[in-house]
Amino acid sequence: MSDAQPAIVARGLTRRFGPHLALDALDLEVPAQQTFGLLGANGAGKTTFIRLVTGFLLPSAGTLQVAGISPAEHPGAVQRQLGFVMETSRLYPELRVRSFLRFCGGTRNLGGDALEAAVDRVLERFQLGAVEGRLIGNLSKGFQQRVSLAQAFLHQPPLVIVDEPTGGLDPVQQREVQDVLRSLRGECTVLLCTHDLREAASLAARVAVLRAGRLVTEGPVSEVLAGDALALFRGEEGAA
Amino acid sequence: MRPLWALVRKELASLFGAPTAYLTLTLVALVTALIFFDHLRLYNQILFIFATNTMGGFETDTIPDHVNLWDTVFLPVMETLGLTLVGAVPLVTMRVFAEERSRGTDELLVTSNLTPGQIVAGKFLATFAFVTLMMLVSFVYPATAIEQGGLGVLHLASVFVGLWLLALGLASIGLACSAFTSNQLVAAVSGWAVAFVMWDFSWANAFIGEGLAQLLNQLALQPRAIAIHPRYGAFAEGIVSLANVAYFLGLALVAAAVARFSFDLRRVNG
Repeated sequence: MSDAQPAIVARGLTRRFGPHLALDALDLEVPAQQTFGLLGANGAGKTTFIRLVTGFLLPSAGTLQVAGISPAEHPGAVQRQLGFVMETSRLYPELRVRSFLRFCGGTRNLGGDALEAAVDRVLERFQLGAVEGRLIGNLSKGFQQRVSLAQAFLHQPPLVIVDEPTGGLDPVQQREVQDVLRSLRGECTVLLCTHDLREAASLAARVAVLRAGRLVTEGPVSEVLAGDALALFRGEEGAA
Repeated sequence: MRPLWALVRKELASLFGAPTAYLTLTLVALVTALIFFDHLRLYNQILFIFATNTMGGFETDTIPDHVNLWDTVFLPVMETLGLTLVGAVPLVTMRVFAEERSRGTDELLVTSNLTPGQIVAGKFLATFAFVTLMMLVSFVYPATAIEQGGLGVLHLASVFVGLWLLALGLASIGLACSAFTSNQLVAAVSGWAVAFVMWDFSWANAFIGEGLAQLLNQLALQPRAIAIHPRYGAFAEGIVSLANVAYFLGLALVAAAVARFSFDLRRVNG
């Protein structure tokens, strides 16, 4: 993924669930090698957009390209280039941290010494060495989120999608996870989906705000969140 | 292949990381032993009655031919074990796909390097491995007695292959049902429902009428041709037919294709 080419390009991207329009002709470009914040209230269409990017869902209309590849047509090729950090509850509580990371590395086609080296690297980077033998279900939510981050970086992807990284965490754990995300700046493209405006302001270089499946505004974080940002969420007159 | 084996190992680790697997194996071994020894006790009682002095004893050939270990113990035990598997196997398979959906970890699997086909293959292989272990455990008592009863290794192999294929067929049905829901109870109940409907299609003749039944019979398309019980019953009688083996393998392949289809359906429907 080169710096010149946007990491993600959506043109007229539409997704319907029966009569419900989750994304309505979305035009959006996510620049490479930056942290890009995707903001919006619950139900704004953030998760639908992520699922279209990962190839988990097919679009109803429009086009989407991730590093020049269509996830609808070549989901495998796109998935090889991305890491996906999900909410803490979406892990395997019955697995131990190292076993889980070995499994994730295995699914990324890592094996033997390369797999062990990758697991050791992320254990060190995300400070999980002390808990590597513990069951994921017995870890605090902060540590669980670090495990989720660690699995996404096993294969050193150029694009990392982070969905609500601090949801359900206490302020100390939120700070820890945000510090980790801050350390990723410039290393890869990060698509950060959140409804936490302060988190977006502290981590993202650019942000886009979605409301009811439509793009309300997009631009540098300092400009978009300068005014009454909550009004953008609520859709008040003149806010966009 | 590496992602596939990583998934198989994870599935087995998840299965044996919880007490459910051990509980299931213990229960299956216990129920099998109870069924088997109850029939053996009944057989001994019949023998005792025939062997009393008033009836002449063993020496005078007073024991009828139909009172033997095969007809009195093994055939009814295999019949009961088959039905026990119909009840037990969907309980093993209900969590396999449904739990991933309810936790949201299916998204982690799909966005990894695993293709939907590999996810289905990995989960089927891991479940088949567990079901095979379950059958080995359940077969210890009948196998010991068959050996002691002098019925021969081939009979033993036929019965085991029949039970094993039946378990794989039922597991395939259960897995296909689990792939379409996030609710484990729905997965189990639908697994039971499909298995019971397919168990014996005699009930279908009442609905299709005599004329149509005769026509289908002439065309070798009787609903009973796709029923599970007649296929399994042949193994229990000591008959290993390639057609019956192909039937159970075909059932597994169709179920895997149905489970694979659930991923495409999810991409479209959400």
